[in-house]
Amino acid sequence: MADTRNKQGSGKARAIYASKERQDEWMQAIADRLGRPRITEMPQHPFRGAPDFWRAYDLQQEERINLFMNNWTNLGGHAFRMSSMEEVGRFLLDFVRETGAQKLMQRQPELMGLGLAEALHDVECTVWDSSAEEMIDEAAQADIGVVVVDHAAAYTGTIVVLSSPDKGRSTSLLPRALVAVVPASAIEASLGPILKGLDARPKDQLPAGVHFITGPSRSSDIENDLTIGVHGPGIVYALVVG
Amino acid sequence: MAETAGSSVKARSKQALQDDFLRKAVKFTTERLKNGKRKATEEHGNWEEWRERGRQIRLHTIAHLDYYLNLFADNARKAGAQVYFARDAAEAAVITREIVREKQARSVVKSKSMVTEELHINHVLEEMDVAAIETDLGEYIIQLAHEPPSHIIIPAIHKNKQQIAEVLSEVAGERLEPDTQVLAGFVRRKLREQFLAAEIGMTGCNFAIAETGSIVIFENEGNARMCSTLPKTQITFMGMERIIPSFEDLEVMATLLPRSATGQKLTAYMSAITGPRRTADGDGPEELHIIIIDNGRSRQLGDPDFQELLNCIRCGACLNVCPVYRHIGGHSYGSVYSGPIGAVLTPALMEDPSEWQDIAYASSLCGACWEACPVKIPLHDMLVYLRNRKVESGTTPTAEQVMFKGFNYMMSDHRRLERFLRLGKVGQKFVARDGYIRIKGPLKGWTNYRDLPEIPKQSFRDRWKELQVEIAQQPRTKTMIQDIEQRMRKVLEERSKGGGSGGGHQE
Repeated sequence: MADTRNKQGSGKARAIYASKERQDEWMQAIADRLGRPRITEMPQHPFRGAPDFWRAYDLQQEERINLFMNNWTNLGGHAFRMSSMEEVGRFLLDFVRETGAQKLMQRQPELMGLGLAEALHDVECTVWDSSAEEMIDEAAQADIGVVVVDHAAAYTGTIVVLSSPDKGRSTSLLPRALVAVVPASAIEASLGPILKGLDARPKDQLPAGVHFITGPSRSSDIENDLTIGVHGPGIVYALVVG
Repeated sequence: MAETAGSSVKARSKQALQDDFLRKAVKFTTERLKNGKRKATEEHGNWEEWRERGRQIRLHTIAHLDYYLNLFADNARKAGAQVYFARDAAEAAVITREIVREKQARSVVKSKSMVTEELHINHVLEEMDVAAIETDLGEYIIQLAHEPPSHIIIPAIHKNKQQIAEVLSEVAGERLEPDTQVLAGFVRRKLREQFLAAEIGMTGCNFAIAETGSIVIFENEGNARMCSTLPKTQITFMGMERIIPSFEDLEVMATLLPRSATGQKLTAYMSAITGPRRTADGDGPEELHIIIIDNGRSRQLGDPDFQELLNCIRCGACLNVCPVYRHIGGHSYGSVYSGPIGAVLTPALMEDPSEWQDIAYASSLCGACWEACPVKIPLHDMLVYLRNRKVESGTTPTAEQVMFKGFNYMMSDHRRLERFLRLGKVGQKFVARDGYIRIKGPLKGWTNYRDLPEIPKQSFRDRWKELQVEIAQQPRTKTMIQDIEQRMRKVLEERSKGGGSGGGHQE
């Protein structure tokens, strides 16, 4: 029990379930059941991914922006088109001043350049700091989380955020309101190109958390009555820039 | 939850049928989900092509499961996850207990997972005196009410607002109004404390990506994200068949699953988690444990009748269209999985299916489940195979066995059948009223719920000679389209000439 020399947990009772022998035994048992020798070479997969007609699906950038904003609004979110990051900065200042809200922001260069922390000395504005021990508590206190998204998909009305030392997963999850800055160039027509991009990344460069967010948090668990914001943010803004 | 296994489906459904609210609530909800699905699939278009693609991806993965599962385990380990293989609930419990003890956990937050229900993980934690908190709104409610889930997507489908307010008021220590916003707001605050305090987060897994070692979770509330972001340790339970090869394949599953389950284009959250937090990350679990579960699943591999069960993506669409489920609700099935999928899956997962087989009869074999299934699992055929296996195992009631032996004897000779019917015509004089037999006797399994028509005075066979004469005498009406008639005439001529065996296409 006290022996912790191996990350897989050798020396612990559960180690046998995590062993290479057990894994091989399982795979052999599956092959036996299927009545053939074990397959160790990558098989031909003729049906990989979406049907052909769907691969051809694409939209012009303006169409993508409109479809994304329509879908986001239909889901119960708010969508605004902005011409520049300066406009985003003004929106955030107004929003925070009017609501007196505490704000949490990802440490992204686009956001850092807005000078919000300086402009907002009268309200609390925290910038994500992965080395800070109490970061999660800070996030839990915040009313508004601000992120610049990595991707968006027009067809489903989805934003995609990837975790990194500068981008906490909590920022898009814990605050009551989420403000997502969506660069127009990040909007794809559908999920396809974004997912293919994940396949294409070198394996050691895949982030721990890839989160696809489609509108506000919702539940229909009480008499099938739609409730917004039951755990995640209930108020979600998408600010499309460009 | 398996405690209900003692009584029969018939007994449980009788209770459910008497609960008027339950029946209406189930009907109301399933109707909405069903319509939502229809709208979403029509809007999206080419639904059949998507279904076929989904089926092909699932078939391909299961046919090469040893390759893909192995690849997933290797890649998940490379990303830093700890991967275990558990044959059954007992092995899963050993692993869980050890991790919980090592982390000295006092409380565990859980997001919705049918697999942990199947393994009775809450019971394991309870025995260790560790709080297991269900955090999905519906699951939280039924956990407080000490009830099992009754629908795969909407677990508290059987409770109304007043009942929910009562349950939650007890926790709050004050009276909460039966208002959805008030109730949901209370749960949000209450569970937020639990998320921040728990040492361990437990989740299920909708899909696992073999090529990257990622687990993918679909949800709407954000509680699965909480469970996989806030606690220091994450344990994910995953059925061994949850695998798909790549993220590219996920696009097809992400198209089929939410549309089939709730009619959404995509659930509010779809999270792909690859390993624990990276060293420099500010949040996410420090340890990620993935427990891969067999628990009877491998028994379907190589079984020509049931292998396709492993294709199931747990959307619940078959429940929403099932006329039986809509009347008796989920609890009547007496197992974790209800509806048509449950009726097949539950016995299929059991080592000794004989004691569960009466749920194979809780269906009308109408095939609506197959039509609704986004990966085209022929559930109605499987229900027939199950019944067949039950008959072959000789565990059907004696009366039924005798009856079908008799039926076989009678039907295999038309003179015998005629003699029997003549006898019946005399016998039924004592029991038939207005053309129907309504007595409860040897036929009560049938006549309890519907009336048996009496044997007509003249059978079709009796009338046949008479009918032939009648047809011959009738003036030939010109109802048949000319060219069809000509073709048929030609076939008849050829047949009388003795040419060919008849029947085939001529032109």
